[in-house]
Amino acid sequence: MLAGLPGDRWVTLGTLGVIVLSWTAVTSLGLVSDLFLPGPELLWSGFLDLVQNGYRSRTLWAHAALSLERVLGGFVTGAIIGTLLGLGMGYNRKVEAFFSPFIEFLRPLPQLAYLVLLIVWLGIGETSQIVLLFLTALPVSAVAAMDGVKGTSVLRIQAAQSLGASEWQIFRWVVLPSALHEIFTGARLAIGVVYATLIAAEIIAGSTGLGWMILDAGRFLRSDYVFVGILIIGLMGLGLDRTLLTIERRVVHWAGKA
Amino acid sequence: MVTGAVQGWIRRDGWLSTAAVLAAIGTWELLSSFRFVPPDLLPGPGAVLRAFVYMLHNGYRETTLWGNILATLYRCGAGFFLACVTGIPLGLAMGYNAKIGAAFDYMVQFMRPLPPLSYLILLILWFGTGDKSKIALLYLTAFPIVTSSAMAGVRSVRTQKVQAAQSLGAGGWQTFCYVIFPSALPLIFTGARIALAVAFSTVVAAELMAATNGLGWMVFSASHFLRNDIIILGIIVLGILGILLNRLILMLDGAIVHWRGVE
Repeated sequence: MLAGLPGDRWVTLGTLGVIVLSWTAVTSLGLVSDLFLPGPELLWSGFLDLVQNGYRSRTLWAHAALSLERVLGGFVTGAIIGTLLGLGMGYNRKVEAFFSPFIEFLRPLPQLAYLVLLIVWLGIGETSQIVLLFLTALPVSAVAAMDGVKGTSVLRIQAAQSLGASEWQIFRWVVLPSALHEIFTGARLAIGVVYATLIAAEIIAGSTGLGWMILDAGRFLRSDYVFVGILIIGLMGLGLDRTLLTIERRVVHWAGKA
Repeated sequence: MVTGAVQGWIRRDGWLSTAAVLAAIGTWELLSSFRFVPPDLLPGPGAVLRAFVYMLHNGYRETTLWGNILATLYRCGAGFFLACVTGIPLGLAMGYNAKIGAAFDYMVQFMRPLPPLSYLILLILWFGTGDKSKIALLYLTAFPIVTSSAMAGVRSVRTQKVQAAQSLGAGGWQTFCYVIFPSALPLIFTGARIALAVAFSTVVAAELMAATNGLGWMVFSASHFLRNDIIILGIIVLGILGILLNRLILMLDGAIVHWRGVE
């Protein structure tokens, strides 16, 4: 009675078919202007055009690579420092009490609000964008690492202690491994937020990258480029998430077997 | 020592948190009053407070502070509310019925990781720059999150519970109302909390891009005049609102889903 997936693949394919068909019908019959909704063939030609000629003196791949570089720059620094901070906060409640007001304030704060301040301080450019993404990833990773450490079962720690493990050994062999799953969950959450923030930042204050590309194309009403851009952004986001998931499965192979 | 740290959440050292905040404000005051940083770039706490008082009396460029707060909350709330009203029933149906699940799942899964601002441009093309495109954006931002959490909620219901109700003679509707829905509710609330937080971030981004009021617009507009006191004030107001919105859903959650974690 409760849904199980297999056997319903034809329903999925059916609705997908209906959507594609009605999209083709609506656009080829001219019910909707190409400006608002480009048809499939227009989308394909727009994609080929972008691949061959690039956009505004840069290839499509150069725009994608720039966006990716920024995401990784902000994410890696933010996730590493956030995780270290979170481990400290989970391990020692003085550290937690000291840093938690800032983390709790930063976490729900709309990222784009402090982008404005960063631009005034650091100028429009790579630095302000990477600092923005660093500040975006930091609280997410910190909270995940802290929760991970706190979730360590006390029984295991006591077992290690009674076997004579030193504090460092307990941290390295008990606390860290059990927190790692949570840390990776936090990292996946962080990279999603970082990616969404970057696209927003490029749209609001960028001159390169995929976000800027679709904004600029939108200004010239090239909705075929906008659609292609959105699809590429979506696929790249999916790729980032899958990459982290693969790494997680390699590293935290003991997850769910506790 | 270690166990103490792990159980540390039981008692939080409140005085240390207060001291940390005071120290940060103190450093901020020192930095600006001794002009280590030009006051244009980093106005001190006093200047921000003065900006706050000034805004309360005079507003900002023909808008009041409350008006901007309300505009932001209205957009965010309208999009979020519409998403809950449509997304939760759809998600429940998707979890309950495999066919409906199969028909809509991939759409929801495709939309979920898509950065909302990327389709704002299309929405502006379709609906113009007014409130309609923003509410549509927030709706589309919150919708996949709410829907997939409702679906996950239904799918997480233990089969034994459903079977127990059925064997006691409950009909389909009764099973749904008294067994499935209550068990799905904790996850629905978790999803709503995430969705509201994401919508709140997104509304500010959308207001930076195209708006004539709202807190995002206020911050962005202030940056054109290098009014960093207003920018910092806006950031503080946004931070407080973000915390309050989160608390609001947590409170509703606590009041309604009193059975959370009690299985």
